Amino acid sequence: MRIVHYLNQFFAGVGGEEAAGTRPAVREGAVGPGRALAALLGADYEIVATVFCGDDYAASDPSATEQLLELVRDRAPDLLVAGPAFTSGRYGLACARLAAASAREGIAAVTSMHPENPGLDEAAPAPVIESGKIGREMRPSLERLARAIDRLSRGEELTERDGRVGRAPRRNRVAERTAAQRAVELMLARIAGDRERTEVPLPSFGSVTPSAPLEDPADARIALLTEGALVPMGNPDRLESARATRWLRYQLDGLDQLEEGVFQSVHGGFSTVAANADPHRLLPLDMARELEHEGRIGTLHHEYLTTAGNGTQVATARSFGVEWAAELRQAGVQAAILTAT
Amino acid sequence: MSATRVPEGERRSATGLRLLTHDVTGVAVGEETSYADGLLTVGKREANELLAHPALAAVAVACCSPGESTRIVKVLDAVEPRCKGADGAHDRSGGGVFPGLLSPAQLRGRGETHVLRGAAVLSAGFLPRAQEAVLQMSGAGAELSPLSRTHNVVVTFEPVPGAPWEEVAGALRLGVLRLAAHLAQATLAAAPESVDELQSVPPGSTGLPRVVAVTNIQTQGAFKDVLVYGRSMVGSLPTWIDPCELADGAVVSAQYGHPALKNPTFVHQNNPVVAALRANDAVELAGVVLCPEPVTEHEKRLVSEHAARLCAAVGADGAIVTKEGGGNADGDVALKLDALEDLGISAVGLFAEMAGRDGTAPGLVVAPARANALISTGNYDELIRLEATDRALGGERLGIVEAAATDELELPVAAIYGSLNPLGWGHLTCGTEP
Repeated sequence: MRIVHYLNQFFAGVGGEEAAGTRPAVREGAVGPGRALAALLGADYEIVATVFCGDDYAASDPSATEQLLELVRDRAPDLLVAGPAFTSGRYGLACARLAAASAREGIAAVTSMHPENPGLDEAAPAPVIESGKIGREMRPSLERLARAIDRLSRGEELTERDGRVGRAPRRNRVAERTAAQRAVELMLARIAGDRERTEVPLPSFGSVTPSAPLEDPADARIALLTEGALVPMGNPDRLESARATRWLRYQLDGLDQLEEGVFQSVHGGFSTVAANADPHRLLPLDMARELEHEGRIGTLHHEYLTTAGNGTQVATARSFGVEWAAELRQAGVQAAILTAT
Repeated sequence: MSATRVPEGERRSATGLRLLTHDVTGVAVGEETSYADGLLTVGKREANELLAHPALAAVAVACCSPGESTRIVKVLDAVEPRCKGADGAHDRSGGGVFPGLLSPAQLRGRGETHVLRGAAVLSAGFLPRAQEAVLQMSGAGAELSPLSRTHNVVVTFEPVPGAPWEEVAGALRLGVLRLAAHLAQATLAAAPESVDELQSVPPGSTGLPRVVAVTNIQTQGAFKDVLVYGRSMVGSLPTWIDPCELADGAVVSAQYGHPALKNPTFVHQNNPVVAALRANDAVELAGVVLCPEPVTEHEKRLVSEHAARLCAAVGADGAIVTKEGGGNADGDVALKLDALEDLGISAVGLFAEMAGRDGTAPGLVVAPARANALISTGNYDELIRLEATDRALGGERLGIVEAAATDELELPVAAIYGSLNPLGWGHLTCGTEP
């Protein structure tokens, strides 16, 4: 079986954070953890090539997945293997997107990451095999992945027993009884002592550890971000007002004020009258410029990022977060103010 | 006029409401309003008079029925035609329905109420903050909305240029309620097909488990509000009402966001949780607790704890909690479920899931911490294809997809009016493949 393996710049041996902007590239044969994986898989499998990319580039360039997919296609593999990505968000997102894109065009794919990785929700229809949390757990993670690849090669479906993680797709269907009737039945079961029955398994959103405070804001580059859907008047790039699938960037260089009638909010979840009368109340450019002139912050980042946080799926919002973080890190931003509505 | 009405002595005026139901099997616009052999005719001139208002430049009334190749777009609200059965009730108050709007704000839910079952009066068109709702009368998508199965009278309108939008919305709401009451009054001379005795909540327990319907209503200001006896609950604490009051229109929607996640006036009139509790012999309905959905977390907590305390005060063993709206409204349900369980009251919550187009994302925005009995009314994000229709009412274009209103469309279920109804009106659910 011909396998193409995907790694980030770190595991491909290119470098650490300083190389996170590395563009998609390919090397012959197995590299780094790929060698250990090849040894576990044995003689019936060959890692014919290793495709890799820097974490920032993979997470923030909209064409990264397509570029990587092109490199995979070139080698016509029977299977794409991505990761293990552990809990690394940008890496996990890249693995998930490449695995999903491959699977969608008929190249079988599997990826490996920890269940808390934000990439988890983007891998479908490709399966995700659980890895450890950190790189030190590489060995057991690769062993589990190798066993899963072996099962896949025999045409078997991967299940929880193989370490498959991620939510099974939930599909709408028409029930015989109305939701209200089902609620009364569930109530009777609960009163009778059944404390487990439910139609919706409870989700887990994980938690975010805040990063350490800035040592000195006067040295920092600060970005302004908003989920308040602030866009130039007329919404030239057609940002959605609800259920946004993308985010946009607009220039702040040369601007000291966000004037009424020049910017507007297209957010569909709150009354935008006050925000449109004074867009600073969504994006505090006025105060930020004042702090910049007083030298209390270093520089203001030259553009702001915006999306509409209204009915957005958790998975989409999580991806936006990873993309924004990668984007800002690449731009040398140390801190950001994200305004929420 | 009153020859076929129920004799005075049989009325249960103090203990409940008698619903006199008249089935509608067809609807048409005609010269004069009438109801005969199931056919409801909407008098064009009478409708125009009832809808006339200084804020409305023009109004129009059209009809459609289940199975027709028709799509209604930009649906704003739906009302079931009802009126009180008093003699000479042919006035603009509907004999006392929709208290606080058509009639004085006095407690209702007693006496007799006539219902045109199988019919609805809908308003459709543009209002600020309204999200475009789509209702398909046949084909795929029609099975998702209960209003695809009613004979619909659709009111469309043009505002007077420069009229304040709140005034336009208020004029439309009042006109639609008047029209609904007026249509129901056409049945006053007819014998009902069926008579339902809706019991008020009994004062003492009968020994069966007592269950409250905790009904959260949206309270986000103009165009996203719900009226209780004509008043907004913005800033209010929860209140207990008798379910019979709902049947007389004590709760009226003024909420035009969230096509799939809203509770039209029709649903409050026919509160599905109340109906399901009434229909089940193993439980006793212990009333309705109406709750605002405030926008800050500390207010959500206050309202939740207060609602739970009200349920405890009426001796509830259980409470079924429902919401209106997306995102932050999940928090109102989650906090109430936990607050109820903390008081030892079994809690069941109804949620629509936002599980992504492929159904793999976590479905709830805010999940309860201690409660866990949840009903799914379906996944908001899943796409559905709607076939092209011969006719559209409510507008010529659909802004959400920039298409002609009659085009073949692919939309998230979220755009189908009433499809994920948070009060449990529909049959949709969501789950992994068996």
